Amino acid sequence: MSKQSTDNSGRRQFLARTAKAAAAIAAASAVSRLAYDPKGPPGQPHTRKLVTVPDFSVDRQPGQTMSIVKGPDRAKNLSRAVELLGGIERFVKPGETVLIKPNVAFASAPILGATTHPQLLAELVRLCLQKARAKSVYVTDNPINDPASCFMLTGIAAAAEQAGAKVLHPRNELFKPTTLSGGKLISNWPILFRPLEKADRLIGIAPVKDHHRSIASMTMKNWYGLLGGRRNIFHQDINTIIAELAMMVTPTLVILDGTQVMMTNGPTGGSLSDLRRADTLIASCDQVAADSYGCTLLDLKAADLPYLGKAEAAGAGTTDYESLEPKFATVT
Amino acid sequence: MATGTPRRKARESVISVCLLAVLFLIGLGVFLKQSRYDKTAFAPPTAKPLSQQPQPSTTAGPNLQVFTPNGFKALSEPEFYGPDDLYEKINGKASLYLDSNFRRLSARRFASIDSPELWAELYIYDMGTARNAFAVFSLQRRPDTLDLFHFDPSFAYRTENAVYFTTGPYYVEFVGSSESPQLTNALVAAAPGIEKALPLDEPARIDELGLLEAENMLPGSIKLNLSNAFGFSGLTDTFSARYNIGGQTITAFVSRRTDSRDARTVAKSYHSFLIENGGTLRAASVGALQGNVVDFYDTIEIVFAAGPFVGGVHEADNQQAAENLAAWLMKRLSEAAERKD
Repeated sequence: MSKQSTDNSGRRQFLARTAKAAAAIAAASAVSRLAYDPKGPPGQPHTRKLVTVPDFSVDRQPGQTMSIVKGPDRAKNLSRAVELLGGIERFVKPGETVLIKPNVAFASAPILGATTHPQLLAELVRLCLQKARAKSVYVTDNPINDPASCFMLTGIAAAAEQAGAKVLHPRNELFKPTTLSGGKLISNWPILFRPLEKADRLIGIAPVKDHHRSIASMTMKNWYGLLGGRRNIFHQDINTIIAELAMMVTPTLVILDGTQVMMTNGPTGGSLSDLRRADTLIASCDQVAADSYGCTLLDLKAADLPYLGKAEAAGAGTTDYESLEPKFATVT
Repeated sequence: MATGTPRRKARESVISVCLLAVLFLIGLGVFLKQSRYDKTAFAPPTAKPLSQQPQPSTTAGPNLQVFTPNGFKALSEPEFYGPDDLYEKINGKASLYLDSNFRRLSARRFASIDSPELWAELYIYDMGTARNAFAVFSLQRRPDTLDLFHFDPSFAYRTENAVYFTTGPYYVEFVGSSESPQLTNALVAAAPGIEKALPLDEPARIDELGLLEAENMLPGSIKLNLSNAFGFSGLTDTFSARYNIGGQTITAFVSRRTDSRDARTVAKSYHSFLIENGGTLRAASVGALQGNVVDFYDTIEIVFAAGPFVGGVHEADNQQAAENLAAWLMKRLSEAAERKD
């Protein structure tokens, strides 16, 4: 009898405890369900991790801000154009690290004029390493299409390496997010930052091209290659993004190659008939001024390119390139 | 009330301690994980790292190997792009294709076996219809180039280094890396084979082309803007061509609408658009064009409706020449409308 009573007591206790445990689990589940936020926290820009592009500009010197050289040979034109601005030694000091940003947007042949000409790039590397005695020169760009093919088929990789520069292909770890102060589009956006961070000097070097979306692609548009992510969304507001890039990047020098100008079907081109010889090269500390002159090679005026006005209004440079008293020369 | 022996109690205690230890370890794991919480992982999507960006597929699409020119071999794997990732291949030019209802791009590079420095890239754009293919062909057509006459119709030409043509819904570019005759001739020779190999679902008949053709039309000057012709969003599906009128080059255009009423509405809207944006009316010497001639910043614009067609002249320097061309086009469009009726 006593044993049966104990068993009954144990069974009741077991049932009571099971019921309590079930109630506790149900209560905990209900609370969890109520507190569950399927969207997660709204998220805020991680400002601590944002980076800022360093200022690479040099002090302006009256009459030595912009030079325009006419001649058929790119390398000779470049050498003369830089000389007119005070020589490469003004821009690059011995022992410094130089980052060159060419336009390597497409895996196309140099002859098509869609990318920076390798001969011009090689001459710039030579000037930096041999004449200015830079410690090292890096060459980088972020073509969306397979970077290895782009650097190889444009001739940029071979030209850079033969001249003594190192080519940096874009990799995930080289990108950091940035936000442009006062910018509308560049907000918490990844840029090819690591090479910029390690450089003392930044030189942009780009061809003059027709562009289906932005009308013209020159030195300012060339910084588009620093952007990561699905940057094509910026094509919807192409003038603003180009102006913001000019605000974000303050280069040491820009080189604009108008030796052969892509007059139509840009930015890819494809046919030699898209090109017209203009035999002109521009070197400038003011990228807005360089592009304002460069667009005349496309039979355009600065007013035809809204991004130039926007960049000027933001203080990135001047469209009145004549006010800079550019130096002209001809190299035969 | 006793529920077990001391030995059993001890065993239960051990199990409880073990369970508590497991719970503690789980809690510790959660704590450590959340201490490395990255807010940006939950931020609204702004940009994907390279590894997460869509990569061009290399496994789908036509077998581009069959298009290898004689004496060439494949230099790269085939690449395929759709509307979402076309920009990865052609960047800023993608919108030109997207505006013309682009479907798919197949591309591959080939190199000469004997001279590997001679290479070319084949681009086959599937535009969905022959009309769309003609639009992107015409908008990029290079002037002063050589037609490839073996194509019918002859929407094909070559330049110093490339071949361009349409066939059915496809627009094809075969772009060489140099102006070597050896390379370009190989591309020209390969073009008919490519044309034959691409499947055609519809005849490449585009009726409006016949409406614009004339002896004084500049060869290869016909263009098709599927949208936003001359900066006016209401002017869609618009063909234009350039003519030599007494030594002057003038552009005429035509757009077929759904019916006469729609044509009149569009013509009126475009006329209003010109006036609202600074144009002024000019008296016409051709009676039928009275009220249709607009001086738009020192160039002449003429727009009219003829049956289901909107026609006109764009950016002419000389009013009389513009009116002559417009009168000819109006007559031709009226005749075409009558035949249709």
